Amino acid sequence: MRVRQHPALAVGLVGVALAAMSHPTAAAWIVGGFGEEPRRGLNPDRLLTLGIHHLSLSAVGLALVALLGLGLGILVTRAFAESVRGGVDGLAAAAQAVPPVVMVALALPILGFGGPPTLLALVAYGVMPVLRGTVSALESVSVEAREAAEALGFTKLQILLRVELPLAMPGLVDALRTAVVLAIATTAVGALAGASTLGTPIVAGLQNQNVLPMLQGVLATAALAFLCDAAMLALADLAPGGTAR
Amino acid sequence: MRTKPTLAIPLRTFSFRHAMAGLPVAGLLLAALHGLPLLNLAANRLLPGDPVYASAFVNPSIGIVSILSIAASGFLVRTQRGIGGLLTSILFLAAWSVLLLGLGAQAAHLVTSQPPAASASLGSGFWIASVSLLVLTGISIGHTHRRCLGAIAAMCGLGLPMAAWHSGGLNHLSLAVEYAGRQAALHDAVVEHLLLSGGAVCLALFAAILLSLWRSGQSIVGLLVSGVQVIPAVALLGGLVALVSGLVRAVPALRDHGISALGPCPAVIGIAAYLLLPLWRGIGAALRSADPASIDVAEALGLTKFQILRDVRLPLGASVLVGSLRVAVVQSLGLATLGAIIGAGGLGRLVFDGMAQFASDLILIGAIPIIVMSLAAEWVLSAIEARCRLRWRA
Repeated sequence: MRVRQHPALAVGLVGVALAAMSHPTAAAWIVGGFGEEPRRGLNPDRLLTLGIHHLSLSAVGLALVALLGLGLGILVTRAFAESVRGGVDGLAAAAQAVPPVVMVALALPILGFGGPPTLLALVAYGVMPVLRGTVSALESVSVEAREAAEALGFTKLQILLRVELPLAMPGLVDALRTAVVLAIATTAVGALAGASTLGTPIVAGLQNQNVLPMLQGVLATAALAFLCDAAMLALADLAPGGTAR
Repeated sequence: MRTKPTLAIPLRTFSFRHAMAGLPVAGLLLAALHGLPLLNLAANRLLPGDPVYASAFVNPSIGIVSILSIAASGFLVRTQRGIGGLLTSILFLAAWSVLLLGLGAQAAHLVTSQPPAASASLGSGFWIASVSLLVLTGISIGHTHRRCLGAIAAMCGLGLPMAAWHSGGLNHLSLAVEYAGRQAALHDAVVEHLLLSGGAVCLALFAAILLSLWRSGQSIVGLLVSGVQVIPAVALLGGLVALVSGLVRAVPALRDHGISALGPCPAVIGIAAYLLLPLWRGIGAALRSADPASIDVAEALGLTKFQILRDVRLPLGASVLVGSLRVAVVQSLGLATLGAIIGAGGLGRLVFDGMAQFASDLILIGAIPIIVMSLAAEWVLSAIEARCRLRWRA
């Protein structure tokens, strides 16, 4: 158990260290080390507000992604949906060919500034990895396990809920972990569309050549990504039959 | 360790098992054509426009498009594979070109009776109808089971709007007006974009080969390379700007070599950092794909280490290698867009200019080439990957 928790702990520690470095005093010290005259940075309250916005936008997007990705993944692996499998797969893959920045930009004239275009990009970009992960996790469930459940008289729904999903759980958690990392990154890009996230100080800092808030945003965004990744790794350990790596 | 999300093969996976899947798409197509605005007419390019629906059209193009699509969908469901699929894909492409020319003609009709600054932009109905027609063409080609047709159809799909534009049929659509005004800038941006992503792929390939050579440090390399993937791209690029500006301040001589904090230098490094994981993993998997028995045989035959690498390991791992290159190239084309926020140029600059001005046509001018290039790269490299797999069956 102790060995297994190691990756989550290490990733989490990196996250905490980055978060500590994003504190104005620490960041000003780093910027000073670069030989730059530090200008006014973001106070911790503002950083925290942006972080909470970032996290909640990502969480809403992730919930939609999980719902759509897991749902479609379960749907297309059912026997009756064999014929739409290629179509769903192809559409999800085509959506992936549009980079998140471009998706945010294309949604901007239709959905306006702020959260909505970011959410659309989050969903469009995140569904495909979750869908593929769900399908491959469900397909990895052995035929014997399924046949044994059938022989025991389980209904199709019972097989799904009590055999397939539990056996596929490690794969599903892994797919969601990728989606979490993607969601944090895409939300940061949303700052370009005016969503108030941890990407905002980065974009503003780049425009005003103001290194201190930019660096704080950089460190805080990276910290959030590492902390969420660590949380998902820990969750993978808790999941039934879960071995994170 | 599970692999990161890789792009599937959009054009190949469009091969639906059942032509029946085309019927809901055809329904969506007809609904979009008749229920959604096909054009938006505005007094100038920055104002939101008034929607123009199919019912207001003075030419019969939308009717022709509907009839062609209904006929083609009928054929798709009723006819045999092979020739039926060929016929339907031609019909769908024809329907798309009629739609384009019809919208161009209607735009010309609307704009000429308006003040000079008026612009007619393509509406949501057009975009949804176009995507539906694309999907339907894909279904038809999947129906024929001949993959070479896909290439021809893609050429037609790109060639038709080009031809329509050159003939002047689209001149009054705002997208064409915007394009005509920015042709030179767009050309430069495409070249910059290709240089940025090409440079990043080369740098990452070089670094990945070096990292693969460090035999004893593979676990550390693995941790670092997958750690980078967790950092959001905006943050990594911003961090690199801070780092490079610090470096330039500490070693002013770097400035004389053309290295500055903002610009292509940090962008190429940042993009390359994300490509390390697929490439490094691909190289490792490719070298391992030859089974130990073949290596033993090659050794017994007296082949040198280099000969084994060249004649056994690389051919057997070629498809894996090309596969990882495909993932890297498509990722780098997308990431290069983001390079524009740190002043690296490329198509991202047009996209961000468009966002700043809230001008959707400008965003599209930047976005369409990005999407076309990533789909083309994805498609060409996956075809090469399949060819390699056939040639050297592992």
